[in-house]
Amino acid sequence: MNKPESRVDKIVSDLLHGRRLRLRGGDAEEKAAIVTAARLAAARQGPQRMNPAFRKRLEQALESAPKEPWMTRRAALVAGVGLAATAVAGGLVGRALEPAAATKRVAGGLVNPINGRWVDVAAMSDLVEGQGKHVTAGGVGAFLFRRGDTVSAVTSICTHLPCELRWNGGNAVLDCSCHPASFMPDGTSTDPTYPLPTLNKVQVRVTTAGRVEVLGTA
Amino acid sequence: MEHGRPDQLGREPGAVVELPASAAPPVDVALEELEFVYAYIFARVGNRADAEDLTQQVALKAIPRLREGAPASAIRGYLFATARSVLGGFWSRRLGLSEAELHEDLAMAVPQAPPSQERADTVQGILAELSDNYRRVLELRFLHGYSLKEVAAEMNSTVGAVKVMQLRALRAAAKVKVDL
Repeated sequence: MNKPESRVDKIVSDLLHGRRLRLRGGDAEEKAAIVTAARLAAARQGPQRMNPAFRKRLEQALESAPKEPWMTRRAALVAGVGLAATAVAGGLVGRALEPAAATKRVAGGLVNPINGRWVDVAAMSDLVEGQGKHVTAGGVGAFLFRRGDTVSAVTSICTHLPCELRWNGGNAVLDCSCHPASFMPDGTSTDPTYPLPTLNKVQVRVTTAGRVEVLGTA
Repeated sequence: MEHGRPDQLGREPGAVVELPASAAPPVDVALEELEFVYAYIFARVGNRADAEDLTQQVALKAIPRLREGAPASAIRGYLFATARSVLGGFWSRRLGLSEAELHEDLAMAVPQAPPSQERADTVQGILAELSDNYRRVLELRFLHGYSLKEVAAEMNSTVGAVKVMQLRALRAAAKVKVDL
């Protein structure tokens, strides 16, 4: 199975038997050959429609989506409602509307880049529970926090001055690199007497392949 | 209201009154748009399991947009923009391909009609650019579904030689510049 012709033939054989594409290494030409093999395998079967059972599942997913009028993100923020993005392993983005705590000065908003795109930033296995991991997705910098099978993310920019935050593992907080200010992993300020505005949340999700993706920019 | 006389809005009894359309498109409209997406993704990944996973990802991402009552054309544009991103992530994860290598998937235009005979014609166009042996091995293997052993018998060759020829033929086909 080490020879490239054997690796590619295994993939071809899988495709012709309707099985998933699986990576088996190889150079750029071999990868291009695999992409072409996938297209030829598709051409053999002609234009496809969804399997009825799969279509039914999709229909149920569409119908079970929230029925209330969709609230735009701007409206949600104006109304003082925080939009929390939670990623669940094996699933996709789950969004929930959370009422903001009345005592908070400013609710952490959502980083929502125009023409944003999901950027692969890490493997789930790269994240250590209780430790922040700094990542960048184009122009969006974020700290990721793993909790079980879920990941949350906050911006890496301080809400006081636009300085990069640093993960302080000893105290489990994000420290501002410019001033004596720090934030909890959920983005709230650690200073009870003069709390800084909460860090903006960054949209994050975990793919079925266990990759962590952040909504960033090209 | 007396029978046979117009009501306060001047409508005749029994007249058909058009109700305002629902803001959100019906689920079956959304599903038909997703059929486009599924066909497009399937044509690229070549297997049902991956095509279903990726289509589901596109659908779940698109639900908020579907609920905003956007016109079908805008929904389709959004769905295919999402499909581009999902496909890019798929190839990147499975094969480690960069976006530069995925120029075709990422630059694809939004189709205006379901995939049809055109795609089959395009594949024939690619095969036509290959040498006779390369074209033959790919035709037998992919379009006719022959096993390696059957291809070897058909081409008076050995299984090992056919395996090597298949890889070379796929590499050559990958270099043919045709808009798949």
